[in-house]
Amino acid sequence: MTDRPGPITDTDDAIGTRDLGVRYSLRFSRKKSMQRTLSQLLTREPAEQFWALRHVDLRVVHGESLAVIGPNGAGKSTLLQVLAGIIRPSEGVVDVRGHVSALLTLGAGFDVDLSGSENILLAGAFLGLDDRLMRDLLPGIVEYADLGQFIDAPLKTYSSGMRARLGFAIATSVDPDILLLDEVLATGDATFRAKSKARVLELVRDAKAVVLVTHDMEWVREYCNRAVLIEHGQIAFEGDPDEVVALHREHTEDEKRRKAAEARAAGLAPAIAR
Amino acid sequence: MTATSEAPAAFRNAAARPSPLGLLIEAIGDITSRRRLVRYLVQAEVKKRGADTLLGNVWWILDPLLLMGVYVVLVTIITSRALPDYPLFIFAAILPWKWFTAAVTDATGSIVNQHRLIKQIAFPKIVLPVAATTAGIVGFGFGLIPLAAIMAFYGDRFSPLVLLIPVIAVVQYVFTVAVAILVAAGNVFFRDLGNVVRHLLRLWWYLSPGLYALSHLDGISLFENPVLRFIAHANPFAVLFEAYRSVIYGTPDGPPIPPDWTSLLILLVASTAFLALASVAFKRLEPSFAKVL
Repeated sequence: MTDRPGPITDTDDAIGTRDLGVRYSLRFSRKKSMQRTLSQLLTREPAEQFWALRHVDLRVVHGESLAVIGPNGAGKSTLLQVLAGIIRPSEGVVDVRGHVSALLTLGAGFDVDLSGSENILLAGAFLGLDDRLMRDLLPGIVEYADLGQFIDAPLKTYSSGMRARLGFAIATSVDPDILLLDEVLATGDATFRAKSKARVLELVRDAKAVVLVTHDMEWVREYCNRAVLIEHGQIAFEGDPDEVVALHREHTEDEKRRKAAEARAAGLAPAIAR
Repeated sequence: MTATSEAPAAFRNAAARPSPLGLLIEAIGDITSRRRLVRYLVQAEVKKRGADTLLGNVWWILDPLLLMGVYVVLVTIITSRALPDYPLFIFAAILPWKWFTAAVTDATGSIVNQHRLIKQIAFPKIVLPVAATTAGIVGFGFGLIPLAAIMAFYGDRFSPLVLLIPVIAVVQYVFTVAVAILVAAGNVFFRDLGNVVRHLLRLWWYLSPGLYALSHLDGISLFENPVLRFIAHANPFAVLFEAYRSVIYGTPDGPPIPPDWTSLLILLVASTAFLALASVAFKRLEPSFAKVL
């Protein structure tokens, strides 16, 4: 319909991005006061900007499990936020086909004054799930999270492990077409970790596509069939998980050596000056 | 099992810029499709306020009464110029004003307080200030209990016109939602907006005919200036307070009379237009929330 075709040409694709970029303006960054912002506007001080992601072309086909790895602050989480529809791209196009479930951080919408079951229904409403479906799922979620008689007690009486279990149980209660995971695999005690890992694997198997952000390289090599390495907001390398993990390790080592050298240089510099 | 979800549909193009009308339709869709979420948020809010304190819901009743007591003392003793049946006179204004301030104050933090959620789930943020405003209706409803008690005390001021209170409240609700969504969005970008709002609300209360009748301004030379006079009469809370007062209290020397329908209708139309503009502004700013928070 336009002379700019969408990024997706193949109907097998679940996710496609083309020339995706996300820009942050630091003018309105967190906790800036009115005085500071107004004075900046008045003095025409140019707003600082930075690109958290730039020129990202990504395709995930159905049945694929893609790992996104990279150093901290490279833009991995921003990428997931864009795919989940939380952040709108500043440039380029993103196309996501199917029902998305994002397991970013668990238990974000919890209200500590409400009971467990009320929180389940509230979370479902935030996720945009049908209320009847949520009521049907409720007993299963309670059982899975192993809350017992606590289900009608306010959440503030829960232990942190119980909250984490409840968050995980809600987030994984619906089978999504596209599953977005951000480091949620390490949750709760050892028993629950094993249980949750099994559930994530089940979702990964059933989902039409999975995008996973993690620092767990073993997981990447074992369960993902493709990986991308993101550095400084751009895709540095894309391919077979083993190769990408190896490259990431190499870059991390280089970075460490460079940092160490810099530290040494900084330590030496004053001595030379003297 | 199929999950029906309005969650992230499909195609987002950075180059696309929706029209104001498109944004307005989107905002209306956000609210209607997420009625359930608004309801749950309102229930949660009401439950929280009632459950946290010893007296629970009794505070909903005591609070406006105590505030009324303070103003009655202030005006009758200090200025010694109280109108007849003065407690009822000011209670007719305190009740709607408490709803407005509670709604605007709660709405101010409604988005900022949910920053974790906003960064993790895609949902229409407009439900948050709307829920805050709607939760205030419950407090307003509880306030009708002491109102009934005061009216029973001043029996000769009672008339069936009090049944018009909900009609006036609808006009107030439309205006309040518009203000609420604007301050909620503004507070994301200016975190100290809450302080400004608190003081502006206080100023607004004294500039509105709550403790005095609108006609009281006629005796003040400052308001002979036509512009100031117009502003004083166009103040939404001048219209609302006068309307509530005419059905609850009447005039200093007479029983309740029907409200000034023309002013109320003008206010309703203006508030609806204001709400439409506020919704469009909110939808414009909404995509930045997750980045700024």
